[in-house]
Amino acid sequence: MLPAPFPANHSPIIRKLESIFPLTDDERQALLELPIQVTAIKEDQDVVREGDRPSRSFAILSGMTCTSKVMGDGKRQIVAFGVPGDMPDIQSLHLKVLDISVTTLTPCSLGFITHEALWDLCLRSPRIAAAFWRETLVEGAAFREWILNVGRREAYPRMAHILCELLVRLHAVGLAEDHSCDLPITQVEFADALGITAVHVNRVFQQMRADGLIETRGTRLIVPDWERLKEVGDFDETYLHLLTTGGAAA
Amino acid sequence: MTLTLQPVRVATGAEEEGMLVFDRDQRLLAVLVHLSPENPVAPGHWFLEAGFDRLDGLNHPTFADLDAAKRWILGHGGPTKEG
Repeated sequence: MLPAPFPANHSPIIRKLESIFPLTDDERQALLELPIQVTAIKEDQDVVREGDRPSRSFAILSGMTCTSKVMGDGKRQIVAFGVPGDMPDIQSLHLKVLDISVTTLTPCSLGFITHEALWDLCLRSPRIAAAFWRETLVEGAAFREWILNVGRREAYPRMAHILCELLVRLHAVGLAEDHSCDLPITQVEFADALGITAVHVNRVFQQMRADGLIETRGTRLIVPDWERLKEVGDFDETYLHLLTTGGAAA
Repeated sequence: MTLTLQPVRVATGAEEEGMLVFDRDQRLLAVLVHLSPENPVAPGHWFLEAGFDRLDGLNHPTFADLDAAKRWILGHGGPTKEG
């Protein structure tokens, strides 16, 4: 069941946290009272860059981002995709210098929260601090899964796996239904995430369509046979530790 | 240039028209595949499907034409130029 509606700015943050951590009414209220500065940002803009020392963190309220690391010659590896509710640079609350860059993939609405306000909330509510801690641990679990995916799976199951992950994560925040979602990620961006060329991404998508594994309409992804896509992608969502799939919280 | 080209069909699962690239000692350096005009990534370009020796690795560029591909191969550790 979907959570009750919240004010638009806070809703994605609460929805995301509640997908991995059970919040009480008081905790939900404390999150609702967080001062958020909402900013609209165009696509393909860096929100933060490696080396930055942010004094605030942000939550994605709408749109998608990617988290990446860049080599000396400018080539980048995307290490995560950010969906609404995610806080891609929450680690800057504790790690002062950012070791990642976060870039918008689509026009985004971002909610900035000062570290001061986050610290204050965490000190007042150790359980909310634990929820953020759990969020970063789940993020770490996802990074480990990506290392396995990029390092060991062939291109076809690698793509299937990432599509499964995105569908499950978007579903957890109410943005996917019936194994279908809006997925405005370009083939070049998939290539940077999967460690293969855009030419190969294109071939894999063509093959997946020919095999009836996926359908695409514009940026819309439709998965006609979810069980089959999971099987092809060797996908087990345990690593996402969602409460709905038995990922028990403390 | 010392490179010679030989047409070949490549079982990529997609476009098949390709070109083998040999050095002057007839050693295979690279396999190029001609992407179709409808390819959304690099329409009509030549894709480095496989490279050997110093062309082996993660880098698989696309080229606007065969001359550009040959220049890149020569510039990236291909055989030394004649003369």
